[in-house]
Amino acid sequence: MTKLLVPVKRVAAVEEDFRIRDDGRDVDPDDLNYDLNEWDGFSLEQAVLIKEAASAEVQVVVATVGPQECDEVLRACLARGADRALRVWDDAMVGSDPIAIARVLAAVARREKPDLVLAGAQSSDHGHATTGIALAALLDWPHVAVVTALKYGAGDARATATRELEAGMLQEVETTCPAVLTIQLGINKPRYASLRAIKQAAARPIEVLGLAELELPGAQVGEAGSASRVRRMAIPEKGRARMIEGSAQQKAARLAQIIREYKAA
Amino acid sequence: MNEANPGSATLAPEQITRVLFEGFAPAAVALFYAIAWAAIAAFAWGCYVQVRKYRRGQPDPASLDHLGRRLLRMAATVLSHRTVARRDATAGGAHRLIFYGFALLFLGTSIITLQVDVSEPLLGFKFWYGDFYLVFSLVLDLAGVALIAGLIVMMVRRGWIRPPRLDYARPDRQPGDPDYDRSGYRREDWAFLWTLITIGVTGYLLEAARLVWLQDRPGVWSTRLWSPVGAVVAEAMRGGGLSGAAAGSLRDALWWFHGILALAFVALVPRTKVKHIFTAMGSLAVRDPLAAQRLPKLAPQAAQVGYARITDLTWKHLLNLDACTKCGRCHEACPARAAGAPLSPRDLILSLREHSNRSLERNLIAGDADLGIHGGQTGQVSQETLWSCRTCMACVEICPVAVEHVPVIVQMRRKLVEAGEMDPLLQKTLQTIHKSGNSFGESRRKRGAWTKALPFPVKDARKEPVEVLWFVGDYASFDPRNQKVSQAFARLLQGAGVDFGILYDAESNAGNDVRRVGEEGLYEHLAESNIAALASARFGRIVTTDPHSLNTIRNEYPQFGGAWQIVHYTTLLLELVRQGRIRIEPRLASRATYHDPCHLGRFNKEYDAPRELLRATGCELIEMPRSRDNSFCCGAGGGRIWMPDPVGKEKPAQIRIREAARIEALELFVVACPKDLTMFEDAVKTTGNEGRIAVRELLELLEPCVTCDLARPEDAIA
Repeated sequence: MTKLLVPVKRVAAVEEDFRIRDDGRDVDPDDLNYDLNEWDGFSLEQAVLIKEAASAEVQVVVATVGPQECDEVLRACLARGADRALRVWDDAMVGSDPIAIARVLAAVARREKPDLVLAGAQSSDHGHATTGIALAALLDWPHVAVVTALKYGAGDARATATRELEAGMLQEVETTCPAVLTIQLGINKPRYASLRAIKQAAARPIEVLGLAELELPGAQVGEAGSASRVRRMAIPEKGRARMIEGSAQQKAARLAQIIREYKAA
Repeated sequence: MNEANPGSATLAPEQITRVLFEGFAPAAVALFYAIAWAAIAAFAWGCYVQVRKYRRGQPDPASLDHLGRRLLRMAATVLSHRTVARRDATAGGAHRLIFYGFALLFLGTSIITLQVDVSEPLLGFKFWYGDFYLVFSLVLDLAGVALIAGLIVMMVRRGWIRPPRLDYARPDRQPGDPDYDRSGYRREDWAFLWTLITIGVTGYLLEAARLVWLQDRPGVWSTRLWSPVGAVVAEAMRGGGLSGAAAGSLRDALWWFHGILALAFVALVPRTKVKHIFTAMGSLAVRDPLAAQRLPKLAPQAAQVGYARITDLTWKHLLNLDACTKCGRCHEACPARAAGAPLSPRDLILSLREHSNRSLERNLIAGDADLGIHGGQTGQVSQETLWSCRTCMACVEICPVAVEHVPVIVQMRRKLVEAGEMDPLLQKTLQTIHKSGNSFGESRRKRGAWTKALPFPVKDARKEPVEVLWFVGDYASFDPRNQKVSQAFARLLQGAGVDFGILYDAESNAGNDVRRVGEEGLYEHLAESNIAALASARFGRIVTTDPHSLNTIRNEYPQFGGAWQIVHYTTLLLELVRQGRIRIEPRLASRATYHDPCHLGRFNKEYDAPRELLRATGCELIEMPRSRDNSFCCGAGGGRIWMPDPVGKEKPAQIRIREAARIEALELFVVACPKDLTMFEDAVKTTGNEGRIAVRELLELLEPCVTCDLARPEDAIA
């Protein structure tokens, strides 16, 4: 059986009007809406496509690190074709940076022994683009980042991935498996999970793991196990753009006046 | 017989009747009975095959409740021909003649059989003679005239007038596709007309030949005027020199020809379009008066959703397929078809009929592979066709035989949604609605933001009881143009002293269009969420400016346990006028036309309140050619507002604006639906009518005309 591990993240999006939390280190949770990370929708779809194209059995396992509220995104993944869902959490994990999260995921990977890990290239909230790469480093597996096309059949010993480089260039990379690939948007067309499928997924089990099951010491996760920590979150000061009102002549006159003021300054 | 002294008075009544098998050898009579029994057997077997076909569909017990009432209603519809005559008086009149002619002739033949084969041999009782026979003879002669006259009108219509609705060209197939060619249907139509008219005409010739043949027998020639058409033909035969003996031979030949043709017709009833006699009546009997307004609910633990295979259709929908008579009224009414989309409700039904006839009339039904109804093969329906539908209900509403096109389409869409086969923009919108509760992707918190521009606070119905709870809907809440209309309505309610409130963040998209897209799971989610919000508020009744919300709350929320009284704002305002709480002064003098929104008019039959209010403003109301139940959809329904229309093709809204623009000196195009405002303002621009015709929501015209500061009952008491 081929096993594909898809690490996913529940990301936050801010409401139009939002406030910073009192401790200044995050947005007030009342002003946040949560969803599955957009990139992870593509990596999951890629795993499900590999499964659907295979003649032998393939298991798609989604895993996330987070509290119970994250079950919702795992269920959305089950509705879109994942076979199993894992959630890892311990209160000690609060404040984990991407490296600490990768350490948890590496423990999951050692336990699950996947043939391939398909992660999102980055997350839409914090955008570190680090977790997948750190995971490969911790496992000492090869990695290919920002994958826009993939040639891999279930059970293959090697995968051929096309990477997106700067300036519109593409690079084709062949790697041995197991490996960690981080998937770029647009590699496929994520399928629609109907609400009926999501509701049916609600009845399926989510496996919950803690530090003990993963044999991880508490000191390796959370703020204690992180190399970085958030000090402060801030809203940049408003720029100086302003609308000029009035008729065309009035606007032109005002514009000319502003230009003269800047020239003088 | 002495011709100068006829008179049935001298005859015994028993002598006044008609010969049947006279002159036939016993073997010939036996042969006739053998043919008749064979025809009846073929008819019975054919009926069995048809019934077996329908029974291969899914159960639908609700369609058989109150059976007595259903049959009475069906009989009234059939006897009055109400539905057949709608929007086509000629076809209705001609069909009425054929129907009554055929029915009486069939009844007459049955009466003869009753005596000859039942009452006489079994009981020795005869009744088919004397005065009864004479009246019988006259009635059947006139029935024959009606039948032939009706058939001739239909032939002239098909052959010479050729109304567009009888053009079988399909918009959903290309020339060269295996099922593009519809000449088989045309041949069947003509074969049907010619067979019936031949049976009718040979009936008269046979009657006349018998009269000439037996002219000397007492009681025959003297009573000939009781069959006036036969008598005239007989006179012509005699005038042409036909002798009695020759007439006898002619009678023999015609007897067999007429008899065998009529029996062949009977045998073929279940296998040809003639079956509509039964299927149309059946379809009308199981008609759901809210077929499009209230879509079928899913069984809670259904293994699959929607229609994927022909056997997924309910037996009623399979019966609907056979009831269709290709009259083309739906084809003509369909806004998608008019806009050049690959959809004709008629062809969709005929495709599925071809499928069901091919796959379900066999003794054994083939495996699943052969039952699929999605795709481009013969008998299948393509995605493009299904997504073209606006669920405007024009087809269902005008169908004379109660075919339920819209529920069938939505059931097929449910399957497409489950498989994710839909426009990417639609997919995005559905995800947005799931996430934010509205199609605009705005924050829930901003749902009530439009009220901030008002000089008074709008009550929060979650926090305090209100007399009227206003369900605002997505467009009226978030679309900037429609927010102005919402504010106008709020000012009107406030001015009239109506105690009203809204649900703010607790309101979600009502789900009407989500359901019509076929995303039933999301619909249930929205309905349940709104029902919970409504249930926790205290109010008398609900009002809305959005006909889509009105429809689903009124007709569909009860399926989920939410039964409240809901009215459209036009109904409420008219009530306020009648109660004297507001007065509308005729301060306007524009030439205006009114567009009936599908969900207000056809769906919920509110045609008059908006018109009455519009007239009260002083505007001169000029109707478009298509109005009220025949109103032409703006193209936004069924979720089409979330899908891009094909580039380069005329949109339904543009067709509608061009229709309005043909009204001389028209100034205002008045609507009463938020989506209409959006669609038609766009269409006025794209058809080059900007500056000439203004689109206005009725509320915008009412506001300047309404006087609110009347003495209110409360004031009077105070």
